[in-house]
Amino acid sequence: MDPMLTFLVILIGMYGLSTSKNIIKSVFSVTIIESGVILLFLNLGNWRGGSIPIINGAADIIADPLPQALMITTIVIGSTVTALALMLCIKVFHHYGTVEWREILRRGEGK
Amino acid sequence: MHFIPVYLIFIPVLTALFLYVVKSRHMNWLALVAQALMTVLLVLYYRAFSGNYEDTMIVLGGWNEWIGISLVNDEISVSFMFLSVFSWWMVLIYTFEKGNTNHNFLFFLMFLQGVFLGLLQTNDLFNMFVFMELITILVTILIAFKKTGDAYRAGLFYLLISKVAMMMFLLSIILVYNSFGTINILLVRDAIAATDSLTVVRFSYALFMVAVMVKSAFVPLYAWLPRAHGVAQSGISALLSGLVVKGGLYLFIRLNQMYEFANLNYTDFFYWIGALTAVVGVMFALSQKDMKQILAYHTISQIGIVMMGLSKLHDPDMFIGGFLHIFNHALFKSLLFLGAGVIISAYRTKKVTDIRGVMRTMPFVSIFMIVGMLSITGAPFFNGFISKAIIKYGVIDSGVRYWILFIVNIGTATSFIKMSQIFFGPKTMTIRIRKPLKNLTLMSLAFACVMLGNFYIPISEGFFGFQVRTIDIGTWANFFDYFLALSIGYVFYRFVIAPDPKAVRYIREHKMTFQQANYLFVVMIIVLLTVFVWW
Repeated sequence: MDPMLTFLVILIGMYGLSTSKNIIKSVFSVTIIESGVILLFLNLGNWRGGSIPIINGAADIIADPLPQALMITTIVIGSTVTALALMLCIKVFHHYGTVEWREILRRGEGK
Repeated sequence: MHFIPVYLIFIPVLTALFLYVVKSRHMNWLALVAQALMTVLLVLYYRAFSGNYEDTMIVLGGWNEWIGISLVNDEISVSFMFLSVFSWWMVLIYTFEKGNTNHNFLFFLMFLQGVFLGLLQTNDLFNMFVFMELITILVTILIAFKKTGDAYRAGLFYLLISKVAMMMFLLSIILVYNSFGTINILLVRDAIAATDSLTVVRFSYALFMVAVMVKSAFVPLYAWLPRAHGVAQSGISALLSGLVVKGGLYLFIRLNQMYEFANLNYTDFFYWIGALTAVVGVMFALSQKDMKQILAYHTISQIGIVMMGLSKLHDPDMFIGGFLHIFNHALFKSLLFLGAGVIISAYRTKKVTDIRGVMRTMPFVSIFMIVGMLSITGAPFFNGFISKAIIKYGVIDSGVRYWILFIVNIGTATSFIKMSQIFFGPKTMTIRIRKPLKNLTLMSLAFACVMLGNFYIPISEGFFGFQVRTIDIGTWANFFDYFLALSIGYVFYRFVIAPDPKAVRYIREHKMTFQQANYLFVVMIIVLLTVFVWW
């Protein structure tokens, strides 16, 4: 996959963030941006099609292991943030009765 | 001695985990013990390395420094560490009586301290990213801890917008790694000095700066800050406004050191961003009536002033001014937020217009609040005066820049004249709760403000390693400026702000939506790319 294609994924996420009126969709958009960034890093680490970074003397080209190590950390953090955001969505829904940004931000103190 | 940085990160984290697992009401004092231990370790570290930070790098796990995680310290990070340990002392003592059965609160608070100290010491870009993300998560939880609808929506707003900003940070790390093969800040700095192709470097710089601008709430990306800092509990607001938002400014200093040899001409751009932030922040603060919202908007404006100083990273005078203002702002903003918390909990309202007679009802708290207000408006012999005078000294030659600073001072003075109306009036009946610990924290913060305002020369020379003796601060012109700003501010308050005209109401009711904030974020990315890559 061309690394440049992943920029497209990031741009789709950006578009979603600036247009979606629903909190759940905003959370999705953030996740899409994150996926784009992760794909880009993994691609740049291994765009020549190298094998897995376990040295056993067989492969000529091996992938760079550092991006993979970093990205697994990013994925863990990303899942935590998504979980927290969805939890807050549920709490916001309990207090305001809706998950539309416009409604929530317009009102004063919730119930 | 060499491994103290590692202990400083792990002591609070492990204490937090222990407190969370044990869940005993009788073990809460352990947090204070850990804090005392950290203070001792930090002082030992300072004594061992002060004046000579050449040899402080630690590479963890026995890897070589190209790929290993490394920690490194210098004057800037050590002084930031002293500031953060001090701030956490204050917040721990302030919240101590309240959080007796609330183990989760102490868990998140102590954990945040470990993470913040890690952010200050790390020498690895990806580690920096991880620490920033952890700070985002923990701060969101601490904001939402009040369990009101307001707090949840503010937390969500903050979480999502910071997450997107940090994704840009990560994208930039990818570009750096792909160009230079390392993410060790010192090595990247050397590699940038050696390279010829600067396009990718500039691209990554622009994306880093977008992340920094969101995390430290520059205009136009400030929308999360007043929501978040205005609704959190007072102790947490003090911590966030005083210290955690400075994490972004710390990143700004570190990253600009990294890009020192990239021939980027950022000084003017960030000066004007800072000026815009200061003016817009003060404008919104003037229109507010909620006490905590006023303080939160003043955080934005003070960060603008800090930025005006920090933007000249290679001009010692301005940089010292900005850097000292970080410390001064941390002290007086914590003081004001904690004092406001005491007043709000006694009067059961946040409206500045409804609170009257604090001077007679709570004399001690009012004295400390007045010290904080004098400091933030830059009164002579208080700490705000020093750093503002140093920044002013740096721009004294150029007319427009000097006048912007003066206008911001007038706005700050007006806003705090408005807030000082709470002191006047007859004694009111409030719920009397004896709070010796809260008064103790307020007293130590006020004491620190006055100390830094009068003995800034030995403190900044011994502690930060700056020479400020050459800058003449106590001139009559500076005193005169302050009293002029105060009198113009009073007239402005009396005839413009106090009648509450339609324009002020319009500004007060203006709230940025999430889509607008993101739209501005995208616009800002384009602006920064234009400025740093194609221009």
